[in-house]
Amino acid sequence: MTSLPPPSEGAQPPLPGAPIDPPADPIIDTENERLDDGANRCPQCGATEIQLRPSEGMLICLFCRHQWAEARLDETIANGDLTTLSGTTIGSGAADIDVDVDAVMTMKCGGCGADVVVNTAEQMGARCHWCRHVLTVNEQVPNGAVPDAVLPFRLTHDEAMAKIDEFAGKRRLFADRRFLSDFKPENVVGVYMPYMVVDGKASADVAGQGEVQTRRYTKGSGDDKETYYDADVYQVQRHVDFTVDDLTIESSAERAHMNAAVNTNNIINTILPFDTENAVTWNASYLTGFTSEKRDQDVDHLRPELEDQFLSIARSQLAASVDRYDRGVRWERERLDVHGTRWVAMYLPVWLYSYYHERGGKGMVHYIAVNGRTGEVMGSVPVSHPRLLVAALATGTVVEGLVIAVLAASG
Amino acid sequence: MIATVLAELASTLLAGAEGDGDTPWILLALGPAGAGATYFGLWRYYRNTHTSHAFERETRIEAQSITGDDAKVKEVKGTKRSQVDGDNRTDHRQRVQRF
Repeated sequence: MTSLPPPSEGAQPPLPGAPIDPPADPIIDTENERLDDGANRCPQCGATEIQLRPSEGMLICLFCRHQWAEARLDETIANGDLTTLSGTTIGSGAADIDVDVDAVMTMKCGGCGADVVVNTAEQMGARCHWCRHVLTVNEQVPNGAVPDAVLPFRLTHDEAMAKIDEFAGKRRLFADRRFLSDFKPENVVGVYMPYMVVDGKASADVAGQGEVQTRRYTKGSGDDKETYYDADVYQVQRHVDFTVDDLTIESSAERAHMNAAVNTNNIINTILPFDTENAVTWNASYLTGFTSEKRDQDVDHLRPELEDQFLSIARSQLAASVDRYDRGVRWERERLDVHGTRWVAMYLPVWLYSYYHERGGKGMVHYIAVNGRTGEVMGSVPVSHPRLLVAALATGTVVEGLVIAVLAASG
Repeated sequence: MIATVLAELASTLLAGAEGDGDTPWILLALGPAGAGATYFGLWRYYRNTHTSHAFERETRIEAQSITGDDAKVKEVKGTKRSQVDGDNRTDHRQRVQRF
């Protein structure tokens, strides 16, 4: 097999004793300096009753109706040319989680000075029990609760309901009867799911064997007639350099575990991608009225998944370059050199309808998920196996009847 | 519609089999096969276990020109295989041995 060129310089381990040059700025500070923990006030009237207005994509003060939006993340940090990426750069909201940091935080109310406790595992804000101010968590504490950016919901609850109703409506006939009787699309919940959004620069080398057909012919006759092929066999090698912009990876271990035999997490994965370039700097008020799931995976946990996806991208990119091999290509070896990555933690908006279905003593949660920005919908609807069986038997009987009729007519 | 297609398929297979002078009893397998395909097709339409994010196509990717070598190493004569054994040209997510 043809040997491949050595890995690029950037991927070589440093020589013993040689000085190691760290990236110039491995951490991008994405903290929203304008906000303090505690009272997050309306810039116009100072009230703290603030929430997202999805139809506008803006925050709105419920007191004076003033609307505004935080700055887009892309405008506040230096993005730069992806071809110049080097080393690993991480947003401050994507920093490693410190297991010793408690999810329960105590904040001092900016209105009256009282201590208010917030459990960041469940919510990112609370109302002061003394003065009724709304307090929100905006400090990037290293427990995975506050990301670098948030992409606000654009689809409203009613629009999500309609999408889910339409999706399930097309799947009524063979759906589980209890699912149908319990189906209430108004129970759809808006959830901000945690993701890492990654830019990267990488190179890949792939090697294998491809074949070009040179002749096709038959030998024998009747029952012994068989087709034979002659082919030229080639050793094929390809190299591709590429950049990837905003690759989106689940950063919750539970959500990243996709196994169709035991869960329907692939449904939530399918509604990607999001328009992550429109994500804005963190402001916990975007979460008011929604729930959120905390990130529990660090950059190092997600590197294997990132490399796997980079390799898949590389293989996809070079597929067209082996079109001439009409008998196919068997890739046998592959290599990836990641030259640079930039990681940003984001909350992305998902409307989620969930249904717990138990069958044969085994339970599974079925999701119907709607992308809170694009409206893309995907779902898993539990089936009625008796109904499926009846449909299958009916089809089989009709087909068999036709075959017997044709055989009888010919006989 | 489906019945029409199946009838045409049966007729075609029948004509081919008669040409070879055989009784086409194998056609009787079409009934069970149709039942199985209906069950699986409907189940998949409802459960969508096969779906996932197509990140290879749906992410912004800029690739430089692809380079490489193609060296003829041998010829195969008289094989019955219509394709390369283990063809994974389009199965981008199947990982192979890493260098």
